[in-house]
Amino acid sequence: MLSESARMTTAQEASYRIQYPNSKRRAAKVIALDRTSAKIVDEVSRLPWNGASFFTSLSFSAKGSPGAEGGEALQAWLNDLAGHAMNLVAEVASSDFVVVITAAGEDARAVSIIADACKLHNKSLVGLVVPRDGASEEAVGESLNHLRPYTRMLVVASGVDYVEAMLTALRA
Amino acid sequence: MLKPEQNDYVTQTGPGTPMGELFRCYWIPALLSEELPENDCPPVRVKLLSERLLAFRDSEGRLGLIDEFCAHRGVSLWFGRNEDCGLRCPYHGWKFDVTGQCVEVPSEPAESGYAKKIKLKSYPLIEKGGVLWTYMGDPAKQPAEPEFEFCTVPLNQTFSSKRLQENNWLQAMEGGIDSSHVSWLHRGDLSSDPLFKGAAGNKYNMADLSPVFEVVESDGGLLIGARRNAEDDQYYWRITPWVMPTYTGVPPRGDHPIHGHFWIPIDDHNCWAWSYDYHPTRPLSDTEVQAMRDGKGIHVKYVPGTYIPLANKTNDYLMNREAQKAGRTYSGVEGIGMQDASLQESMGPICDRTKENLVGTDNGVIMARHRLMRAAKALAEKGVIPPGVNPEHHKVRQAALLLKRDVHFKDGAKEALVAKKGVRQTSV
Repeated sequence: MLSESARMTTAQEASYRIQYPNSKRRAAKVIALDRTSAKIVDEVSRLPWNGASFFTSLSFSAKGSPGAEGGEALQAWLNDLAGHAMNLVAEVASSDFVVVITAAGEDARAVSIIADACKLHNKSLVGLVVPRDGASEEAVGESLNHLRPYTRMLVVASGVDYVEAMLTALRA
Repeated sequence: MLKPEQNDYVTQTGPGTPMGELFRCYWIPALLSEELPENDCPPVRVKLLSERLLAFRDSEGRLGLIDEFCAHRGVSLWFGRNEDCGLRCPYHGWKFDVTGQCVEVPSEPAESGYAKKIKLKSYPLIEKGGVLWTYMGDPAKQPAEPEFEFCTVPLNQTFSSKRLQENNWLQAMEGGIDSSHVSWLHRGDLSSDPLFKGAAGNKYNMADLSPVFEVVESDGGLLIGARRNAEDDQYYWRITPWVMPTYTGVPPRGDHPIHGHFWIPIDDHNCWAWSYDYHPTRPLSDTEVQAMRDGKGIHVKYVPGTYIPLANKTNDYLMNREAQKAGRTYSGVEGIGMQDASLQESMGPICDRTKENLVGTDNGVIMARHRLMRAAKALAEKGVIPPGVNPEHHKVRQAALLLKRDVHFKDGAKEALVAKKGVRQTSV
């Protein structure tokens, strides 16, 4: 007689798996850290998504950081595609995870402010470095150095098509 | 998450499928050398990429991998007589050589030339590093031979095994690049397995169960770095190379032999899990080889006379709930190989990726799928040779090392990630 494992791992048994949505819609916040990646984010945002919000820039008005001591005073805004300024901390607070995108060699230091907001609300931060024409290996290294201290997962992609692939895989 | 059509695209490897055509660009492991140990030994049935084949070594040591079935009446040539430089069908005596060429049809006059017009499909079979490799693609595009380090070191420095795994190749391969499961599923084995224990780096694994990951594309596939906190402003990095479509390397531990895998599709519901162990600079010790034969490390114990794991789905993987409760094993299944295989087989013959919920740390898996699909599409539409075909892409090494925190692993481990003859692996 077959064991339970042998019976339960057949293709026929696989057809009895319960069909239902096993997860709720997740709020992904996708933030461009520089002008080059803003163009990519703008383009990707036009695809159909499952609740993701896209932001093309970050602006802030004071020194400090929302997660740091005294940082509550910091005012930081994310600028969405329609040109609205959204409160960074509130956006992060309402997210399930945050993805930051930078083009190799661009200034990605703004990640620290976003990371502090993520820390404040215990949100996972994924960093993605996308290629930029003419960017050197050193430029990639520089981008990684900006992102590394703050991200739980850091990806260096060789093509911008990976942005869409990754967000789709994450059900963004 | 993959869409249903993407899941089909990336898991199906039969003839004419996009991923099947991709696999047919590479040399892939077909058999262990020990399966055809001598001239005129019994032939062996082989199913690869959903094609039924037969391997044999003829009277002069030539290797053949041909269509399993006789061109006359469709009898399996596994019943054939391997004699006088050919395999003779026992039904009516038709005889075939290692290229699949029919060399004799006894019922027809030899002078008629009838035999010359009969030829079975065949693929080249070469021996390298104790493994018999085949190339199942267009003969005009046959690439140079594989140069993975484990198959280029002297034979006394390398050991390979294979085991049947009863699920699609992709969900097995994905386990090989998903480093985050190691601290959970295999945690009991780091301190006890003779091919793992004692390495200084193990303490970092055990102290930090939440590694942080970096994924970087390489010429042949990916480099997946997992970093954990270490002393003196350093990170402990474990770097896993993946060479397309299916080679992975497990980062080393101490001076233990280096190991890794191939997952080769048998058909869409089964694969061969190949496991290799080698040392770049010294022979494997008798103790190490015995441990591998005994199913330690990433190898398994077999049902005698087969390559079927002794712990398998027909016996519920010899599940031991007491060991699970006591923490000797995390899942209750003994052995690293079967800990992986039991869970991967439980997903079903082909994992339904439309239902999965990936997280950021699964980017290694996401990127691998993306590269596979991208390469298969480029091959189908433009004939682009995929990454990993060029033997230069094979000369990578897994590495484990300590690096200053501001150093990118691809730079800091640049030398360590290249296989160099006579140079020891970089390990902690």
